[in-house]
Amino acid sequence: MNFQVYNRDICVGDIRVIGVSSSSLLMVGDAETIQLAATFDTPAESLIVGPFVPLSPDIS
Amino acid sequence: MLQRITCVDHIKIDSVSFSSIFQIGDSEQILAVSRALAVQREAEIFFDNEGNFDAFPVFSEAIPFQPPDEEIIFSTHNLNPVLKVRNIDILGASSSSIVHLGNSRNIAMEARVKHIRQLLPRNNNSGEEGI
Repeated sequence: MNFQVYNRDICVGDIRVIGVSSSSLLMVGDAETIQLAATFDTPAESLIVGPFVPLSPDIS
Repeated sequence: MLQRITCVDHIKIDSVSFSSIFQIGDSEQILAVSRALAVQREAEIFFDNEGNFDAFPVFSEAIPFQPPDEEIIFSTHNLNPVLKVRNIDILGASSSSIVHLGNSRNIAMEARVKHIRQLLPRNNNSGEEGI
């Protein structure tokens, strides 16, 4: 594939962002490669009903 | 080839936390990893020294990445070599995130989050539907 880009005038007024979080990127500039990955686990799979028991301890 | 430069008149960031970076200027390589165990309990209870990333596969499973299967002949022509932004306003950057003004080469970022919710035991005689 032949991919050609002509960057002409880029002039932005205001950028307003609430949050950039969890390995996110806000960039004003150029990059050759950008590789982003995310995994996310949330209930119902991780919903625990019952007495409060600690998670397995941090052994590191 | 002439690189583009970034011109930002004004930037305001209220907070940069948990290994986040505010980078002004070019960089070469960025590798950012964020791991989080987000535990919510119905009662206010906190155990010290808990949480082991190795116990949850979400922190070790491979995230598949598809490399391009075709050769790309890539060329850019920067007719106007200035990226201009008048104003940037960010409330917060958190958890290995990056606010970058300037150019970079290779950027790789990864986030793994496990949410756990612990609820108190319910009485099932009320006929109420479970969550």
